[in-house]
Amino acid sequence: MGIQEQYRKEAAELLSSGAVKLVIGYGEGTTADRRRPVFIRSAEYVGRLVLDANCVANLSAYLVQEGLLSDGKKVAAFLKPEGIRSMNILAAEAQLDPEQVVILGFDIEAGQATSLSGRNASDFTALIGSLKASGLSPELQKEADRLEHMGSADRFEYWKAQFSKCIKCYACRQVCPMCYCRRCIVDVNQPQWINTSSHTLGNFEWNIIRAFHLAGRCVACGGCDRSCPVNIPLRLINHRMAKEALDTFGHFAGESADQKPVLATFRQDDPETFIL
Amino acid sequence: MTRILLKSRLDDCLGAWRTAGFSVLAPVKRNELTRFDEVQAASEIALDIVITERTIKEHFFLQTEPLIKYQISKKQIETEEMLPPERKRVFFGVRPCDAAGLDIDDPLFGWDYKDEYWFRRREGSVIVTIACSQADDFCMCTSVHLAPDSTKGSDLMLHPLRDGRGWQVVPHTDRGKALLEPVAPMLQEEVAETAPVPDVPVKFDLDKVSSWLSDPANFESNFWKEISQRCIGCGSCTYLCPTCHCFDIQDEGDTYNGIRRKNWDSCSFALFTMHTSGHNPRNTQSTRWRQRIMHKFNYYRGKFGVNSCSGCGRCTRQCPVDMGITETLHEISNLPR
Repeated sequence: MGIQEQYRKEAAELLSSGAVKLVIGYGEGTTADRRRPVFIRSAEYVGRLVLDANCVANLSAYLVQEGLLSDGKKVAAFLKPEGIRSMNILAAEAQLDPEQVVILGFDIEAGQATSLSGRNASDFTALIGSLKASGLSPELQKEADRLEHMGSADRFEYWKAQFSKCIKCYACRQVCPMCYCRRCIVDVNQPQWINTSSHTLGNFEWNIIRAFHLAGRCVACGGCDRSCPVNIPLRLINHRMAKEALDTFGHFAGESADQKPVLATFRQDDPETFIL
Repeated sequence: MTRILLKSRLDDCLGAWRTAGFSVLAPVKRNELTRFDEVQAASEIALDIVITERTIKEHFFLQTEPLIKYQISKKQIETEEMLPPERKRVFFGVRPCDAAGLDIDDPLFGWDYKDEYWFRRREGSVIVTIACSQADDFCMCTSVHLAPDSTKGSDLMLHPLRDGRGWQVVPHTDRGKALLEPVAPMLQEEVAETAPVPDVPVKFDLDKVSSWLSDPANFESNFWKEISQRCIGCGSCTYLCPTCHCFDIQDEGDTYNGIRRKNWDSCSFALFTMHTSGHNPRNTQSTRWRQRIMHKFNYYRGKFGVNSCSGCGRCTRQCPVDMGITETLHEISNLPR
């Protein structure tokens, strides 16, 4: 039995036994290679679930939709390792109880979806730990190296050209599991803390604020990058921040549900004389 | 016999327009993004794409538009209006859906108040449309009763020739005729066959949609909740839409000096209808998505006699979760009634 059939069957069992109230998965999209998030509440509809190599989106952002888990009931979600990592961070930041999520884990290898064993967040700790040393894809590494070797003036010009394209649609924020604030700082308007204008300066403000807030939290699922309608290479910013967190603090975001958030914790033997 | 512009004469043509005082904007791919931008030479123009990722709307209704400069002193407030400069522009290679989008928005910007910023740019611009020779899975102009060679909103229409050498040139307005004067030497009279337009399947029944939407009983239908479940509430569909026109006024600066700006805003955002009290009449994503559909296919039509959609398909094409107008209207067309 292929993974799609296996997971449809499992989803049907979870729903009909009442173990979960909802399965968040993927369904067919507008075109043959597109998948869209689907929400299945009854076993009779599990045939709508699709699982193949086109299922790239990180669905964990839906887990923190307002009110979804507040009744204490469980939901199941199709998650790749990055999705499990972001779920771990959400748990570590007290946004959800991992006990409420049944993970239908999968990965994409050599153009095929493969199932991951384990259904609870804690079952995947070893797997996630093993990803720590996996590094970047060759293409991404090449882009990252190119930026790293630029002089600061050239790098500034590069980002200026990229951020000038931004239209502040906030797709990057809305698709991101880490952007769960009910009111984002840029939406605080009594008074307006941050200008809403989408000129180059305003776009720098927005993108830098988001990069800072993702430092040590981004799991490189690529959701923001794929969602950006004006093709800003957001993966490169987030990668740089993740690299900083790993090199400086040995922090690989989302290793486990009880990992301490790197920028929200401190040590008494910290060598610095102050804490920011 | 029809008038023909050969691709080999396009550079001369752009040059003649520029000599006549026009800036030429055309589809280009710059910094990994396709959009309309100023060009100097034909080689810069991306003529082989289905449609630009961004629309020409942004050159008429800016994503952020300075309106006035203000200075507040002890005795008085001084303001200075910041109207856009009067520029002559040619938009070359516009798609029929984007051209129609401008036409759809004209009554809105000139209704209770004439928006100088929109009309000054509109009046200085000539729209040169190229009929489509290809379509993708997201195109839906035929569903909103337009077509890959609609002339709505176009001053001049170019129809690609079957042999690919150039275009048949057909003016549709006085402005379009006037634009042909400086380039008359580059045009030739010829008998030439134009390429067939692509077949764009009809994806929903607009009449059924209109009647369902105008029935007040459907306003609270559970349909809205179901169809919008996966909407993440970003503004991508509205900002890439050739007809979405909502904006917000913001003062940028300090207490004494600053600029008042008109910034794009989106009905997808929770903040869009938030009252000062904290009450939000559209406090869920489903009510916001309903508003978007109702505005485009019910309210706008009621007020201006036209739907606020030209069928470009960008809302679905670039949606992070593969939603969009097409799916919603297709589902409405198929609802039992």
